[in-house]
Amino acid sequence: MRASASKKPPQHPVRQGLEGFDSLYRDHVDLIYRYAHRLCGETESAKDLVQETFLNAYQGLKDFRGEAKVSTWLYTIASRACIRMRRKRKGEPEHELSLEEFVPTSEGEFRLQIPMSGLSPEEALQNKELREALDQAIDKLPKKYRMALVLRDMEGLSAKEVGTIMGVNERAVKSRLHRARLFVRRELSARGITEHDNQRSGGLRS
Amino acid sequence: MNKKKTVTPKKRSRSLSHHHTHSEGRCLDLLRQLSAYIDDELPSDICGEIRRHLGACPNCEVFIASLQQTVTLCRHRSAPELTSVDRMKMRRAILTAANAR
Repeated sequence: MRASASKKPPQHPVRQGLEGFDSLYRDHVDLIYRYAHRLCGETESAKDLVQETFLNAYQGLKDFRGEAKVSTWLYTIASRACIRMRRKRKGEPEHELSLEEFVPTSEGEFRLQIPMSGLSPEEALQNKELREALDQAIDKLPKKYRMALVLRDMEGLSAKEVGTIMGVNERAVKSRLHRARLFVRRELSARGITEHDNQRSGGLRS
Repeated sequence: MNKKKTVTPKKRSRSLSHHHTHSEGRCLDLLRQLSAYIDDELPSDICGEIRRHLGACPNCEVFIASLQQTVTLCRHRSAPELTSVDRMKMRRAILTAANAR
């Protein structure tokens, strides 16, 4: 192995100044807004989070050394900003989710009482009640679990990338993701969805 | 998303038998591994054990289907998009705040 490989002179991975900011903003604002909206659950907070993220990114452009992808760097800034903002606004207590609380105790808790049978996910999600139930379930998650779920299952990042963004190892990411999925599943199961939008019947197997 | 991993089996987890008490035992073992199973991250011998258990335990089979559906719904939930006016307004607000600091 050549020792010189790791001694390349550092080249700055992003352009600096206003021009650099504009390029960064143009290429990533939609990505970060989508992430912010999924984290915050509503438009105004999502816009605030996007602005805070890009303000921090603008001021930190010179310090970005390209060790991670630009998108990973921005996701990280947004995640930290989100934690700060939510703390300020809600002072919400964080609680841990334990696996034991997700063990079904009655027959009806095993399945989702929602009209999905024979529908594609896109068709199922045309049901407004289902969309609202899903969004509310995700919004009820404690933030570290919500972040893991949003980044992994909604943004489609790998467990390793999510770990980099959240500052934890892959094992912790998978553990949080698993609990987050079980939480959302339980919320949907408990809710039960009527069939305002879809004319199909049935839950999972009825 | 969720690339299939090739994992060398190390040691076998506790065996999953056909015990149907969902507050303890085999079904709890399964509950712990469901996301890894859905994401195809488990060694093939463990997957085989899980499939055998699911075939004999209708409650676990329904439960895992409901978890898989939950994940599918999350993956397909779209998010709203910004308008070009919003993009422009936000850019201006960011630069104003940056200059003020």
